[in-house]
Amino acid sequence: MNQRDKPLPMTVLSGFLGAGKTTLVNHLLRHSAGQKIMVLVNDFGELPIDQDLIEAENGDVITLANGCACCSMGGDLYKAFSTALDFTPPPDQLLIEASGVAEPKRIANFAKAEPDLTLNGIVTVIDALNFEEMQSDPRVSDVIKAQISAAHLLLVNKIDRASERQRAEVEAKVREINATAPLVAIANGALASEIFFGPKITPDELPMIDAAHLSHEMQFDRWSYRTEEKIDAEMLRNMLRSLPPSVLRLKGIFCRTDKPGVWTVHKVGSHVDIGPVSRAFNPADTSEFVAIGMQNTNLSQFLDKAFSNLK
Amino acid sequence: MSATTVFSAKKIITMNPARPHVSHVAVRDGKVFATGTLEEIARWGDYTLDETFADKIIMPGLIEGHCHLMAGGIWKYSYVGYQDRVDPDGKSWPGVKTLENVHARLKEAETKLGPDEPLVAWGFDPIFLMDRRLDRNDLDAVSKSRPIAVVHSNFHLMTVNSTALSLANYVADMGVDGIALGADGTPNGELQEMAAMFPIMRRLGINLRELGRTRASIVAFGKVCNRVGVTTAADLINDLPDEDVDEMQDITAAADYPIRLLSLLNGLAQPADETRTRALELKPKSTDKLRLGSVKIVTDGSIQGFTARIRWPHHYNGAPNGIWNIVPEQLNTLVSILHDAGIQMHIHTNGDEAIEAALEALEIAKTKNNRPDILHVLQHCQMADRAQFRKMKKLGVAANLFSNHIFYFGDKHYELTIGPDRALRMDACQSAIDYDVPFTIHSDAPVTPMAPLFTAWCAVNRLTESGRVLGEYEKISVAEALQAITLGAAATLQMDHEVGSIEVGKWADFAILDDDPETIGAENLKNVGIWGTVLAGDKHEIR
Repeated sequence: MNQRDKPLPMTVLSGFLGAGKTTLVNHLLRHSAGQKIMVLVNDFGELPIDQDLIEAENGDVITLANGCACCSMGGDLYKAFSTALDFTPPPDQLLIEASGVAEPKRIANFAKAEPDLTLNGIVTVIDALNFEEMQSDPRVSDVIKAQISAAHLLLVNKIDRASERQRAEVEAKVREINATAPLVAIANGALASEIFFGPKITPDELPMIDAAHLSHEMQFDRWSYRTEEKIDAEMLRNMLRSLPPSVLRLKGIFCRTDKPGVWTVHKVGSHVDIGPVSRAFNPADTSEFVAIGMQNTNLSQFLDKAFSNLK
Repeated sequence: MSATTVFSAKKIITMNPARPHVSHVAVRDGKVFATGTLEEIARWGDYTLDETFADKIIMPGLIEGHCHLMAGGIWKYSYVGYQDRVDPDGKSWPGVKTLENVHARLKEAETKLGPDEPLVAWGFDPIFLMDRRLDRNDLDAVSKSRPIAVVHSNFHLMTVNSTALSLANYVADMGVDGIALGADGTPNGELQEMAAMFPIMRRLGINLRELGRTRASIVAFGKVCNRVGVTTAADLINDLPDEDVDEMQDITAAADYPIRLLSLLNGLAQPADETRTRALELKPKSTDKLRLGSVKIVTDGSIQGFTARIRWPHHYNGAPNGIWNIVPEQLNTLVSILHDAGIQMHIHTNGDEAIEAALEALEIAKTKNNRPDILHVLQHCQMADRAQFRKMKKLGVAANLFSNHIFYFGDKHYELTIGPDRALRMDACQSAIDYDVPFTIHSDAPVTPMAPLFTAWCAVNRLTESGRVLGEYEKISVAEALQAITLGAAATLQMDHEVGSIEVGKWADFAILDDDPETIGAENLKNVGIWGTVLAGDKHEIR
């Protein structure tokens, strides 16, 4: 067993058959932005990696030229998680592509329980075109419901091929099941890796404010915030939980009023995770936060206000 | 000319209706050469008379149609179950009846460990120790320095001590489903399901799947079978990589390996066409004592774990419906692909909704392409109603019913999981007989202990642990139960032309019994003494 110096962020990608999980995974692998992504596929269909991305296949593990890797779980969760945690070089992100019938909450529990993993959210993809049809099969409707209700981020895919009416109906149905998670419409399984995994932020590298980075993603706005003041972690947690679903992801590092050291926070939907950073406090440390939200939602205005109210 | 050995016995139960009871059986080249009186057999020519079994009962070698190789390897750990058990090497492990017994057993086990070894035990069953749950304090009393993990009999739960909890940083409420909390709000040591158990298992090196793969486990598994009169056993799921197949061929080929072993390929570990290719590749690697080429498909979870897929009105206690391991639509595709290739499938279905989905997939496959040469089997098939048995008959599908569940979990099913209506009809052997569905009964060892005569006792008496009769109608006769654990099982493994009865031309595989199961009385069937077995004419006395 390898000991990691910091926990591996794990994102569960869930969604029913044909929703577009595989296309999204390939998109993320293609645009990994230098992150080493380890994909565990909890399905027995074809390993979902586009042929041109594959560098080598070694037993159950496919490696990609950009340092990413993909491994089939084959129903043996013990082996799969051990493989991911002991993998060299250690990945930066773990992405579990859940099977079409998986209940993502059960998989997410692994990240909550294992000290070497941290839950980076449950993302559920919904097929805008055949959601209604799938939902009408009583054998799987409860599974689809569970996938949607557990999600911290909802992606309605194939939006380019859906009519306005279809889109509105699907969104309304999804909102009946999950009213709080951010909901993003996407086409062809394309979504910026920063939204899927969250803005890149490491304790040694303050968040970069790079508005240009997202400029091609017309639907999104960025926001960032810096303060010299220490922060009350419980107030922060409560404030983050009360933010509207137009805030897609938020990350930060901060100093606490009640405890020493440096802390990280990340939020996706209703999931807020606060944890210590394993490095010593530096007197020059400030608290920094960065968020991505939907455009035209006054993101900066209300986040600035919410954060200044923390004092 | 090969030598002939004639075994005499007090009584030989042949399962051959033309000649159900005889006094002698002749063996040549590992096969049954003749049955009957010594006089009849003598007319074939020279023979050696072996009277070892003169005061024993011989019946066809018993067949366990659903178990796992881990039933051997698990004995690496200390047994702390409620029932008395005998390990593969013949050591008796009296059942632990109180938490004080658990403490004593663990203390004793601890003395045999090196300073850095964790203490791992298995088989614990809280259902039987009702006064209170085992918790970390009980285990801390055994050791405060050594990590301790007690795996429960269903393998879905474990209880660990404080040292193990702190290894995984389980020191406060982490809001994780499955990490149970005590009255003080901190983890009490009980961990439920894989996600919560994984961090401990990873740090203590408890890898249950690996456990079944080791040479020691496969050897021990043979001994487990031998002790209960089993000569053919099916290991119901395996990834079967080449190196494991080579090792299994090697181990089973040894003259002292006492069973014919079937091992089924996991049908959900790779895409459907790869499963087909691999199964076809494995089949010719079969030998007289190792059979490969069939595929296992797991559709749902377990009833006692509330993970079976069950139809309306769902769980008696209102728990949400269980889980699928495969989308029903994908199951249709997989089943058709394997069926068309002539590959036998054993489909795990506990709940009636899973049974329905499996039957639908088989109906689609068989409507396109009948293939009457293959017998597919619904494994567990616990909640099938009579309409589903009629459908099995129409489709030519067999069932392997989990009769041990009646004893071990029957009360829970009646009171909690599925309620009286469906509990009273579960594991419905009589319905299988009514509709002429080929069937057998099983233990799923190590989930419940392997012992086909105990399983037969369950099917005949349908008694739960508390003594309730779980459905009078579905009881079957002793004769029918004996048929189920011999020829019935052989049929589900597509080996009924080779094993399952003592008939000319079949393998000379026998169970050697101290008592006569036909006369000992239905209530005593589980108490029949076992001397050992004969495999292909060779004696394997229990050691």
